[in-house]
Amino acid sequence: MTDSDGDLRRWRLPRGRHGLPRELVVRSQRERLLAAVVQVTAARGYESTSVADILEEAGVGRESFYELFDDKQDCLLVARGLLVDDLEATVRAAYGGGEAWADRVRKGLTAMLTWFAADPAAARVVVIELAAVGAPAREIFQTDFNRFVKLMDDELDEAIPGLPQATGLGVGGLLARVYEEVVRDRTAQLPELLPELLYELLVPFLGEDAAAAERSRAEAIADAR
Amino acid sequence: MQKQRGTETLRSVLETTVPHDVGIRSQRQRIVDAMVESCAEKTYAATTIADIVSRASISRTTFYKRFEGKRDCFDAALDWCIEELRAAAAGSHTPADPPSLAVRNAVAAMLELMAAKPGLAQLVIGEAVAVEPAVVKRYRDILIPALERLWDEAGARRDSGADPKLSFGRAQVLVYNQILAGDTAELPRLLPDLVYIALLPFAGHEEALEQARLAGSHSSTGLGDR
Repeated sequence: MTDSDGDLRRWRLPRGRHGLPRELVVRSQRERLLAAVVQVTAARGYESTSVADILEEAGVGRESFYELFDDKQDCLLVARGLLVDDLEATVRAAYGGGEAWADRVRKGLTAMLTWFAADPAAARVVVIELAAVGAPAREIFQTDFNRFVKLMDDELDEAIPGLPQATGLGVGGLLARVYEEVVRDRTAQLPELLPELLYELLVPFLGEDAAAAERSRAEAIADAR
Repeated sequence: MQKQRGTETLRSVLETTVPHDVGIRSQRQRIVDAMVESCAEKTYAATTIADIVSRASISRTTFYKRFEGKRDCFDAALDWCIEELRAAAAGSHTPADPPSLAVRNAVAAMLELMAAKPGLAQLVIGEAVAVEPAVVKRYRDILIPALERLWDEAGARRDSGADPKLSFGRAQVLVYNQILAGDTAELPRLLPDLVYIALLPFAGHEEALEQARLAGSHSSTGLGDR
């Protein structure tokens, strides 16, 4: 938390007359507010976070805040939306490519776990604090879930006969596991779960033996690092 | 002698209660029902005591006689939902059923109950996890030992290397997504996939897939294998 505080202060523009174009000031204020809402919400929980807390963390005035966002919820949801876009792009980049499907699943999964582990505050906002915003959370969760199911589905030739929701099961399992680890403050250790999660993800598609072989491969790659 | 009305459930008939207690019970249940409905409609976060009081047609004073506050009331609503699901699952099979069939029927019975009671489904699968993330552990602590017992009693357990805890998470998120899509009535459609993951840790991939396909062919007629 102290590190990011330091970063945020460095981004802070000089107060008063500094001769910077207004557009640049607004963009910088928006970015600081978005970074601040993630930090503050992750630290205190959405319920206990006030606009005043966000302003203090960002070093931005109340008037500027309300020019940019409707309220606390709007600010958090914009920030969270950007984070999920970034996560999806990261996973997509790692998952895409010409290798064998199981290799690409391993790479996509690695990218996902690493993304969460690198920024526990972002992980908390993405997976836990969403629910606290109330009704809008439902639609957002569903949209996010379907984005990741589609991401995985796009690379599959066909569904498994008899298991129409196999990708939904895979994405659901990952989400539930990430959620649990983040709740237990073990976000930074998520990448250690790679072999186990890869196995679970692949079993419905490949069967136990092939999935276990991929798990061993993931373990060997992890050991080699 | 207490008069038995046709609308009473078997359970309330079997329970020995004095009429006064029945009155308290039903008032408490009305409040619980109001909490379930309000959570389904506007989420727990947005639900107020005023919402509950108005839906249950009771006074604020009465509410606080039965419950300490919103959270206490929610916990009671959750207990009620879990008990309904447990009863549906328990009533769906007999000890003589092979474990695969018992699991298939129990999953079908729980999905059918949730399809019939969307508020219950929303509360158990969606709201409860938002209110108290640790509830997931509570669910698992009910479900996983029940599954383990089923397989151990039949002496048919086969360790597949899949973690039942992960299976549970998969099921929960998949059901939640279906509820959010506004398709609670179509929950039984998830039967094949849920049968697969309920069986995978105990019966292995091949058997789980076989049972999922069976479940799919039965559920296409709209009925589980009863």
